[in-house]
Order: sequence, then structure tokens, then C-alpha cells
Amino acid sequence: MSDHLQQAITVLQTRFGSAAPRPAAPPCPVRPSGIPELDALTGIGGWPVGRLSLLAGPRGSGKRTLAQRSIAVASREGPVAYIDFPSRLDPEFLNRFNARLDHLLVVRPKSLREGMASVRVLARAGVDMICIDLSRTGSAGLDAELPHLLHRAAEAECTLLLVYDADADDAIRYYASLILSFRRSAWVFRRNGDLEGLQVDATVVKNRLAPPGLKKQWIVPYPIP
Amino acid sequence: MICCIRTPHPSLVAAWLETPALRGRPLILGGLAHERGSVTTASIQARTQGVVEGMSLNQAQQFAPDATFQPVDEEATARVRQSLLLTLHHFTPDVAAGEVPGCAFLRLDRLVLRWPDRAQLLVAISHALDVAIHVRPAIGVASSMFVSKIAAERATAGAPVAVEPEQTRAYLARLPIDVLPLDDDLREYLELLGLKTIGRLQAISRPAFRRQFGLKALDIYDLALGTDRRRLRAWRPAVRIEASEPLEPPVDNTEALQFIARALAEQVSASLLSQGLGTRAIRITLNQESAPALVVEARFAYPVTTAGELFDGIRPRLLRASITAPLERITLRAGRLEPAYVRQPGLLVRRDGFKESIADAVARLQEEYGPSLVQRAEVRRDAAPLPDHRILWKPA
Repeated sequence: MSDHLQQAITVLQTRFGSAAPRPAAPPCPVRPSGIPELDALTGIGGWPVGRLSLLAGPRGSGKRTLAQRSIAVASREGPVAYIDFPSRLDPEFLNRFNARLDHLLVVRPKSLREGMASVRVLARAGVDMICIDLSRTGSAGLDAELPHLLHRAAEAECTLLLVYDADADDAIRYYASLILSFRRSAWVFRRNGDLEGLQVDATVVKNRLAPPGLKKQWIVPYPIP
Repeated sequence: MICCIRTPHPSLVAAWLETPALRGRPLILGGLAHERGSVTTASIQARTQGVVEGMSLNQAQQFAPDATFQPVDEEATARVRQSLLLTLHHFTPDVAAGEVPGCAFLRLDRLVLRWPDRAQLLVAISHALDVAIHVRPAIGVASSMFVSKIAAERATAGAPVAVEPEQTRAYLARLPIDVLPLDDDLREYLELLGLKTIGRLQAISRPAFRRQFGLKALDIYDLALGTDRRRLRAWRPAVRIEASEPLEPPVDNTEALQFIARALAEQVSASLLSQGLGTRAIRITLNQESAPALVVEARFAYPVTTAGELFDGIRPRLLRASITAPLERITLRAGRLEPAYVRQPGLLVRRDGFKESIADAVARLQEEYGPSLVQRAEVRRDAAPLPDHRILWKPA
């Protein structure tokens, strides 16, 4: 932004209040995901801090792999938590990405209420990143819990990731600041016929912090390194 | 002004309180004469015969064959230490325990209005300690902790030594450098240079001292001038807040139990309020008529004071407790006491001015929903290649 434009904005804000011309998206602190392509896709360089990011898509589209990798990266910096509703967390996978398992708390709730209470308490206690891995069937009542959760996360500067196995409800889509939709596009084979990996298409369906609509393709390698 | 109170080692005082006949006789504490071990402390009569702390008991017996040997009574010693500080705390809350056992410091500045005559105050302190632990202390008064400690070492039971601020430098000047907390290297160095008294040290300028001995040694130089930068870390008496109610006849009705618990919560709350404290854990003890007592703990994310908040934490635990027999007594005990003021209104500061540690948060969740809710994973590389064997899940 040029100095003249900045001066003009300051003059307008002085005359008409701070709600007069202002940047569409204030700068938001981020936590890197560990995958440079994904950081570029979000438009802000990583997962937004103090906000909810939704990873949606059908089963086997690579969203959980991505979320677990992000948790592994974040665990090197500080405490992280994984709210594992479907019990699908694989600590060995995290270990391959040099995760610090002593920084990882795995919460295995029996009900949504238990899970959400855990997120609130842990966010307040200073956990840096919380991944909520939600099964398709257990999300009834989540829309009522989300406002409290987001308030707590914003206060505590905690990054929230929500992994959801289907297209999310409107309420969840409303509260998420960033929605990444995943689709499995093809299996990729090497010339000798061995499986190389899974090609995944990711689309930014919603982004409150940068322009939405970006698309990216990458290969989730098999077997997972 | 700081006042240093010196009494004999608390374990000696405890032994004298237990057996008054041992006063004035050689007494060695640390164990019996034939035992392997070392001397923890010894009375002045034993010291005059050559016994020192750290010497083996066997050797001590050779120096003082007529001495009485006793092991240290740790509980009684702790009681004496507590009693010493508590007695001084009645004069002023600015009390600190010294590094040397039996030594304590008081700040006298706030006592000027109540005790305009310092000599009377010192007599009153001496008398109060005599009543509490039957010992008349040696008292030193000076402008800093270091100088007051030196003054107390040179005082006797009936004659306190006071060093006024303007006399401090001159008072220290005639003392040997050994009274300073020197390490061996610095002591040797100073002696090689012929600096044997603090006065000779004071004659050196500060920049010259720093050039010669380095930045770290400047603290020693400051002490030699009478400047002690250590802060007096105030001692606080232990507080125990508890409310208990016998149930006669024994109660087996949860409604009645809740009613009594609420009344006890109000008592605990009143005690907390009166001392400006909050609790982060309430221990509920339920004594059953013909079964072992049940102990349940309710933890709070922040220091709680009001009866309503206390009862909100207590009630669900009471309802969930597996009570198998009518209850004879219920006791609430407040633990983890903290100043209540740490909780700030959310309007004024970000969050509510208060942060719970992750360990506390996990403990609270596990208490509420069971220990298996929050877990940690450990990967065992040496185990068989089956996920159940390689991954060890354990409660966080």
C-alpha cells in the first residue's frame, strides 16, 4: 500500500471512525502445516491461529493424513492435542515426521460433550494446536458447541483443525474461517507398476483471510514415508 | 532497619524442650555415639571440647566422652522452627527465615509507630521467644541483612548489637575478610595481596576492584561496604482451612448430605474470604459407619472463594461417590490455597487474568470423565511389528 493511500485511509478513519475504509482481512498469525504447497494454498502461509479450519471430504481423500502431519509439525514447537473421536490416530505415522509424542495429548471422548469440554479446557490451558477428528455420525449438537469453542480458541490463541468425513453442515461452514475440500482424483503408479501414491485435489472453498477458490494437487505417497 | 534473630539450632532447642535437664550440658545431635553418622549440631559446651558439625559421631565421642548423644527429632525440630517464625510473625508480617538454621530476619521499618523505642521492641521480641521456645536469642540490628547477621553473631542473649546506617562502614572495617562469603580462590587471592580486613578492602575504589577481581566479585565488594541487595523473602504461616460436621444419626440420604455439604462449603468460603484466599482443590472425606472412609477431590481451574462455586464443584462428586454405608461425618478441606485476587475481571485483561497449567487441566478432565479420556502415546521400537504391541497408550 502506498504512503498516500495509507494517509488517505488514516484521514477517513479519523473523520468517520475506525470502521471507515479498512483492510478486508487484518493480518492473522499462522502456524505452518509442514507442507509448503498447503501453506501456499491457504493464502496466509499456514493454519490461522485462534480460528477454526475445516478439512472436509470423503474418506480416503488424504485430509486426516494432512491433519496428522500438521499436528506432528506443531508438536515440535509446543503442546498439541488430538481429539480422536473415531480412534484413528496413528502415533507411528506422527513419529515418522519427527513428532514429539511427549507434547501430544490424545483425547478419546465417549460423547461430543466430553470432547468439546476437553477442547475448551485444553485450549485455555495453553495447547497450541488442537485437531478435532470427528466421525460422520457423532456430530449432532456440534453447531451449538462451536461458538463457545471458538471464543475460547481465539482468547487462548489456539489453532483449531476440524477433520470431517463428509460435506459439513451449514453451521460448521459458517463458523470455519478456512474450508479446504479434498477429493481423491487418481492413484498414481510408477513405470514398473508399483503404486507411488494417491493424487489429491484440494480446493479452498471458503477463506476469510485471503482470496478463496485456489486449487492445488499433490500426491500423498504410498506407503506413507 | 533489619533485625537478625539468632537462636541455637532448632533441633537443639527441641531436645532441650523435650528434656530440660540437658540444658547447660554437652549435647551432640545426629545419632547415638556408636552409630555411623555425623554430628548435625552440638551445644556450646560440646563445641568448647572440640566437637564441630559434620564430624563423625565416633570422633565426637573421643572429643567429648561425657556428652549426651541423641538422634535429631525431625518433627519436634520443625515445630520449633515454625514456632520461632510464628512468634516473630506476631510482631510484623515482614519476617524471613535465614539460611542458617535458627536464624530469622525482621524488617523493623513498619514497627516504628507502634514501637517508637527500639530497645523496648527488642526486649519484647526476646521475651516472646523465651515464652514460646524457652530460648533468649542474640539480636543484631543494622541497615541490611548481611550486617545485621554479623551484628547478631557478635551479640549475646541479653545485649543486642545495633549498627546505625552511618556507622556501618566503620563497623565492618575492623572485621576480618572471613566474615564475607568468599570462595576459596578469592580468599586466597585477597590474602596474597595482604588484604586481611574489610577496611583494607573498602580502601580500594570500585572500578579498581572490578578491574582486579572481575564483575562477579563486585557483590562481595558491595557487602564489604554494607550494601546487601538480597530482598527479604517474607515467610507466611501455614494455613489450614477445614470444616467438618458429625452426622448424628448417620445420614444415608443424598438430599440431606447435599444440604450439609452446602453449609460446610459456606463455612470454608467464610474462612477463605477472611484471609483473602482462594482454593484450587477441595478434599471431601466421607466417614462411613461400617466401611472405610471415602476421599474425593474436586479441583478448580482457578482459585475459588465463594460458597456457590465451591458447592458447584463438590455436588457432582458427592452424587457420584460410591457410598456403601450411612455416613457418620463429612469433612471439607481446602487445599492449594492461593491469593484470591489473581482472578481479574475479563473486561480488564485478556482472558481472565489467570492461566491453568496443562497438567492441571488434564487432571481436571480425567477426574471429571475418567483417566482414559486423555492419553499419551509411546512408540516402542523394540516390540513386535504389531500395532497393539508397538504403541503403548497410557493415561496422561
